[in-house]
Amino acid sequence: MTNRIPIVLAAIAALAIPVLTADTYVIQLLNIAMLNAIVVLGLNFATGWTGQINFGQAAFYGLGAYATAIAAKAGLPWIVTPVLSVALVLVASLVLGLPTLRLRTYYLAMTTIGFGEIVRLIIVYWEPVTGGTSGLRTIPGISVFGFGPQGQMQHYYLLLAALALASLVAVRIRRSSLGRAMIATKDSEIAAEQSGVDTTRTKLLAFMIGAVYAGLAGCLYASSIRFVSPDSFSGVQAVLLMTMLIVGGMGSIAGCIIGALALTLLPEALRFLGQWYLVLYGLGVIVVIVLLPGGLASMIAMFPLRRLGAR
Amino acid sequence: MTGAPIVSARGVTRRFGGLVALDGVDLDVPSGIVQAIIGPNGSGKTTLLNALSGASHADAGSIRIGGAEIFRLKPHRIARLGLSRTFQNIRIFGDLSVLENVKVAAACHVRSSLFNIVVAGARQQATESDIEERARQALDLVGLAHRADDRARELAYAQQRLLEIARALASEPKVMLLDEPAAGMNTAESMTLLETIGKLKARGITILFVEHNVRLVMGISDRVAVLDFGKKIAEGTPSEVQRNPLVIEAYLGRRHRHA
Amino acid sequence: MGQLVVNGLALGSIYALVALGLLLIFNTVQIVNFAQGQLLMLGAFIGISGAVTHELPIALAWLATIVAMALIGVVFMLLVYFPLRGRPAFLVILTTIAMGIVLENLALIIWGPLPVSLPSPVRGPPLRFSGVVISMHQLMIFGTLAVILLLQYLLLTKTRFGILMQATAQDLHTARLVGIPINRTIAVAFALGAVLSGIAGLLVAPLFLAEPTMGGSLGLKGFIVSVIGGFGNLPGAVIGGMLLGLIETFGARYISSDFRDAYAFIVMIAFLTAWPRGLFGEKTSEKV
Repeated sequence: MTNRIPIVLAAIAALAIPVLTADTYVIQLLNIAMLNAIVVLGLNFATGWTGQINFGQAAFYGLGAYATAIAAKAGLPWIVTPVLSVALVLVASLVLGLPTLRLRTYYLAMTTIGFGEIVRLIIVYWEPVTGGTSGLRTIPGISVFGFGPQGQMQHYYLLLAALALASLVAVRIRRSSLGRAMIATKDSEIAAEQSGVDTTRTKLLAFMIGAVYAGLAGCLYASSIRFVSPDSFSGVQAVLLMTMLIVGGMGSIAGCIIGALALTLLPEALRFLGQWYLVLYGLGVIVVIVLLPGGLASMIAMFPLRRLGAR
Repeated sequence: MTGAPIVSARGVTRRFGGLVALDGVDLDVPSGIVQAIIGPNGSGKTTLLNALSGASHADAGSIRIGGAEIFRLKPHRIARLGLSRTFQNIRIFGDLSVLENVKVAAACHVRSSLFNIVVAGARQQATESDIEERARQALDLVGLAHRADDRARELAYAQQRLLEIARALASEPKVMLLDEPAAGMNTAESMTLLETIGKLKARGITILFVEHNVRLVMGISDRVAVLDFGKKIAEGTPSEVQRNPLVIEAYLGRRHRHA
Repeated sequence: MGQLVVNGLALGSIYALVALGLLLIFNTVQIVNFAQGQLLMLGAFIGISGAVTHELPIALAWLATIVAMALIGVVFMLLVYFPLRGRPAFLVILTTIAMGIVLENLALIIWGPLPVSLPSPVRGPPLRFSGVVISMHQLMIFGTLAVILLLQYLLLTKTRFGILMQATAQDLHTARLVGIPINRTIAVAFALGAVLSGIAGLLVAPLFLAEPTMGGSLGLKGFIVSVIGGFGNLPGAVIGGMLLGLIETFGARYISSDFRDAYAFIVMIAFLTAWPRGLFGEKTSEKV
């Protein structure tokens, strides 16, 4: 079936990294990259596969993170926080998803951007609860029956497992009738309907599953990075997530991970550029879009790894 | 060829602004036959197909498929009641493989819950092999089994048309609507198409098709209905229709090229 | 309360101007420019550079800004429109957003993050009657909008060039076949679209201070106005703009001023749900 070798190689490499470099800064960066990858995998359902533009994914990420942060700081047992995060994003995704089902392209882009803005405004202005622009600090970490990962290294392996799980679920969905229905809806909504696909339900599901991915990633973010602020979930972040998806190849699972890795590590590597970084980033996005329609994953697809990117 | 008609349309009307595309069309299609719908350009043929399949609802009228009223139902519900179609402009799922294209339709009557999909247990595997079985059978019938794993958009034009038929077949329809299935095909390809339609009929599927190529139509249809300006002006066997003066006038009067 | 109406209408006029720029580009090339707000910001800052930094007379600063914006519009077109012709709309959206980020951060580098002020081109005591104060600048805003509407109407209907633009907008392919110089037409559309936003920037800066990050919300509001009025519809944009300006001003006063930006989005979502085609929009049907 699929070419297993690259996956095995990647897994070995991933497991080995903390052994090779004990630099906490790098590890934490990789942790954030993996969290981003989970969010982008979520975005892939609605945007990559179903073709529904969604600039609100960063908002779901933020909602999940803040729900966990607020609940944990309020003293609730950690095990409850992912449940709360998921519940919150599910409600939010219905609030955003239901009215927007019939919207196309520009209107959809605009509405999802607007949604992201509203969430950000709520976070910024509801200071007593969310800490406003300063955010929330010293969030309690993961603790299940008194056990929890300590230090970035242990979080690394936890998040690696989470990413692996997220990827596995995504692969299973892709190979099922739901995954095919999503892509069919994007390719030709009318033909999909005539083939028995309830496109409305499919779009909504894609949206909600994506939101859950982001919400859970947000929960993990709050619990492992232990600090949340509105900046991490802003409009620029939404664009960044979208770019990760595109750079990764828009629809390929491996591409989501590669794109997230590349675009989380790159800003750090280019940090010395200061303010110019964002200018170059913007220009870089344009160049990537113009030159590479298939994204990084399509370059990789030129090798026999083709089947890996369960497109 | 006996019993209640499988498609029964009464008074189907459709207006686009001031233009009346369909004007109270009545149509009864007996089960198991090949029914052609012909007529000059703009006579409302595709509009009728769209109304039947739910792609573009009629404004008024009643449409029954196998006895069930489908007026204004969403297309996917109509598909689940046993009607499928192909399109005038090919609408295959370009990003999916050939096999996956057909699987989409093969899953028509199957409900996979999200839980089952994620858990991917035995039940899901059974469902999936069911779907795959049906999909491959459909591909076999149209002769595309050897291209199963290729990306759908890589197929040649005529093969894409056959893929659409395979897809329409996979949802186990009682009625299949074909919208200009021979458009853009050469003679050899049209012959393959005719054979395929024959195979479909042999399986007991009622075929309703719209075609411009009148000569092609006459060869394979059991019955022909003729539309002009949104009204049905003639109906009968191919030879009856051919001799009908109203039909001749409708075509000649427009200096229609394909007559 | 009357004061709120005046303020709301003035604000709304600015939103209408942004929308007009957006619509000019959209009507010609079917692209929604998500960087329209940043163009407004550039207009404000170029004006500030001229009038404050270089102490040019304000009229000259305005002129310089208009010329500069026209050039920027053409450059914008070269960077965004040409390379992406024929690509899916989604990618164009992302590209214009990226351009917006580029422009915003260039502005931050050049002019720094602190808010700056721009004097109004008109001076004089405000008008007062029945408890309502209309500043000279607000009058200028209304006046500018009126003049621009008139000019746009004349350009599109009475000049040869305007008619070419309409033809290009209606059917690009045929326009090219018929020999209309579409590249030139498109360039003018982008230039004018940028100029309109630049003027909006020059008008808004004396009202609220200008800062490089102002483009985002103003651009979005321009889009929202286009949605309310129905894409492709100029009078709709004006009415939509006024409506939004009023809603925002009243909302900020009676509900909460922190959330002023949110009102616009809520209005838009409401409109998109209830009237997908806008108040005056055209019907679009999907061809099967």
